[in-house]
Amino acid sequence: MTHRISDLVVSILLLLFSAVMINDSSNIRDLGFDGMKADFWPNIILWLLVIMSSILFGKSFIFIKNNPAISNLKIDNKILIISTLIKFKNAFICFAMFMFFLLTLDYLGMLIGGVLFVFGLLTFLGNFNFKSIVKHFLISIISIGCMWGIFTYGLKVMLPEGEILNVW
Amino acid sequence: MLDTILQAGATVLLDPVTLGLMAIGTLAGLLAGAIPGFTIAMGVILTLPFTFGMSPIQGITTMIGVFVGGLSGGLMSGMLTGIPGTPSSVATTFDGFPLVRAGKPGLALGLGVWSSFFGGIISAITLVAFAPQLAFLGLEFGPWDYFSLIIFALTITVSLSGGNMVKGLIAGLLGLFAAVVGEDEINGVARFAFGSDEIRQGFSFLPVLIGLFAFSQLLTDVEDSERAKSPLMAKTADPVRVEHKKAIILIFKSWVNLVRSSVIGIFTGILPAAGGSISNILAYDQAKKAAKNRSEFGKGAIDGIIAPEAANNATAGGALIMMMALGIPGDIVTAVMLGALMIHDIIPGPSFIKDEPLLAYGVFISFFVAHFFMVVLQSLSLKIFLQVTKIPMYILACVILAYCAIGVFSLHNIVFDIWVMFGFGLIGYAMRKLGFPLAPMILGVVLGKLIELNLARATAISDNYLLFLSRPWSLFFITMAIISVLFPFYQSSKKESFFGKFYVPLATISLSIPLFMMQSPVRTFVAATLLLGGFYLMYQKVKKNNFI
Repeated sequence: MTHRISDLVVSILLLLFSAVMINDSSNIRDLGFDGMKADFWPNIILWLLVIMSSILFGKSFIFIKNNPAISNLKIDNKILIISTLIKFKNAFICFAMFMFFLLTLDYLGMLIGGVLFVFGLLTFLGNFNFKSIVKHFLISIISIGCMWGIFTYGLKVMLPEGEILNVW
Repeated sequence: MLDTILQAGATVLLDPVTLGLMAIGTLAGLLAGAIPGFTIAMGVILTLPFTFGMSPIQGITTMIGVFVGGLSGGLMSGMLTGIPGTPSSVATTFDGFPLVRAGKPGLALGLGVWSSFFGGIISAITLVAFAPQLAFLGLEFGPWDYFSLIIFALTITVSLSGGNMVKGLIAGLLGLFAAVVGEDEINGVARFAFGSDEIRQGFSFLPVLIGLFAFSQLLTDVEDSERAKSPLMAKTADPVRVEHKKAIILIFKSWVNLVRSSVIGIFTGILPAAGGSISNILAYDQAKKAAKNRSEFGKGAIDGIIAPEAANNATAGGALIMMMALGIPGDIVTAVMLGALMIHDIIPGPSFIKDEPLLAYGVFISFFVAHFFMVVLQSLSLKIFLQVTKIPMYILACVILAYCAIGVFSLHNIVFDIWVMFGFGLIGYAMRKLGFPLAPMILGVVLGKLIELNLARATAISDNYLLFLSRPWSLFFITMAIISVLFPFYQSSKKESFFGKFYVPLATISLSIPLFMMQSPVRTFVAATLLLGGFYLMYQKVKKNNFI
C-alpha cells in the first residue's frame, strides 16, 4: 500500500528528472557532421523514461484512487518523519559519516580519515562501552593500516595524504 | 589452435604468480559465497581494484577464481546452518541441510563439492567447444543485429529479474542514461556535464557498480541494529571431515542426473541475465520429477544435492560462453567481468577469440583449473568460514565501506570517483527500498556505450531504419525481446484467457520467420520445425477449447 504512494512520488521525481535532462539535451553541441547526432540516443532514452514514468504514475494513481483506504489515509507528518528516521537510522548514519569522510579527505587524507571513519561508524553502529570502543579503535587502526600498506606499497597507488600528514 | 591452447596453458599454469592469484581468488570467492548477505557479484566487484595493477590474464584469472569459488561457497552455510550463502545455493539447502541433520555432514559436503566440480568441468569443456563456434556465428552480426541483441539482453534481464516490469524497464533506462553522461565517444561532445569538468569525463564503470551494488548492499545489511550487532550466524556449525571417496562414487552412480543438471545450468547461463539462482531451482525440480522415489526429496536425497550444485557451477560456463563469444554478459557477475576487461582495454566480442587467442584460451583454462582449486581449498575455507561467522555484520560492513572508497580511488587516483560511488550508492539503496531491480540498471551501465556505438555505426552505414526489421538476426533478437517483455504477462495471465492460451504457439511461429530469412539449410530446418510445432500447439489449443 505504502509502496503505491512511494511509486507515485518516484514517478513524479523521474518525470521532473527527465524534463530537466531533455531540456539540457538542447545544449548538446551539433558539430554538423553526417550520421547520428550526439543528442539523438540520450533523447530516445529520456523519452522512453518519460513514457515508463508516466505508466508508473498512472498505475499508482489509479490504484490509490480505487482504494479509498489509501486516499483517505491521514498521515501525521511528524510521526512519518520520526518513524522513517528510526527505520533507516543506521543507513542515515552511514551516509552522514561517509559524507563527512569525503568532505574532510583533503585535510585528513585517506589514512587518518579512513581510521576516523571506520572508528566513528563502528562506534555509532555497535555497542557504546569501554571494551567495545577499544575493540573498534584496534579494528579501525589495523584494517585501514593494512589497506593503506597494500595499496600504497603493494599496488603503488598514491592515496591522498591530506594536509595534516603533508605538513609533517 | 593446439599451439594457442598450449601457449595459453603455459601462461596460466607455469606462472606461479598467476596460479597463486587464482588460489587466493578462489578462497576469497568461497568465503564470499559462504557468508549470507554477501553475493558472488559483490566478491568479484571488491576484487576488481586489486586487479588494476595486474596483467589482463592475471586479473581475469583472479576474478574467475572468485566466481568459481563463490558458486561453491554458498553450499557450506546452506548445508551446515540451513541458511543459503548465495541465491544460487538455495535448492542445495532443501536436501543438504536435512542430510547434515541426519548425521552425515561429511557426505553432504562431499556431494556438494564434487557435484560443483563435475558440473563445472562439464561446462568448461562446453565452453571450450562452443564459445569459438558461437563467436563464429557472431561474425555474421552487423551493427543492427548487435543493437537488437543488446535490446534483447536488457529486456530479458528485466523480464527475469522479477517484480514490476515497468520498474525494471525504468532501471534499465537509468543504467543506459548513466552511460551517456560525459563526453560522447563518437563526436567528442560533452553531454549533461552541467559545466563540470569531472562529469565531462563521464562516470567510470567501477565506482558506479560498487556504489549501486556493494555500497547499497552493505547499508541494507546494517539496517537492522540488533541483527547487525549479532554474529553473522546464530547457529555455528562444527568443523567436519568431508567424505570425498563416498561422494564421488554416489555421484558417478547418479551420472544421468549430473549430466542433465549440468546441461540445464549451461543453457540457463547462456541466456542473458539468467544466472545460478534460477538454474539450481530448475535442476532440482527436474531431478525431483525424474526420481523414482520423489518422497525422499526434502529429507536428504542424494540427487537433491547433486542437481542444484552441478547446475549452478555449470551456469558459470554458460555465462562465460555468451560473454566471450558475443560480448554480452550472461549474468551480473559476467557483467562485472566484462567491465573489468574493459578497464584493461579488452572488449570481448565475436572477433575476441580470434584477435586475443592467448587471453581467450587463458580464460577457458583458468575456468577449468579454478575448479581444482575449489575442491582443494574447500576444507581450508570451511575452517576460516566457521571463524568468520562469529564476526558481527556491522564490523565487516564498516571495514568494507572504507575499502570501497580506497579501491575506487585507486582506479584513476581522483576523489571524484568516490563521490560517484557515494551518489550511486544512494541511488542503489533507494532503488532497493522502492522495489526497483538493480540487475537491469547494471546491465544498462555496462552495455550503454556499446549499444550507442552500434546504433551510430548502423545509422552511419544507412539511414534506413527498416534494416532493424529486415535483417534476419536483428529481427530474431527483436522478436525475442518482444517475447521476453510479454513473458511476465503470460505468467500472470489466466490460462483460460486468449493471451494465456496462444502466447507459446504465437511466440514459436514468430521466431521461425527470421530463421527462414537466414536461408541456410540447417536454419531453415529449425525454422520449419518451429513453425510446425507452433501450428501444432495452436491446433491443440483450438481443438481443446472447441473453437472449431
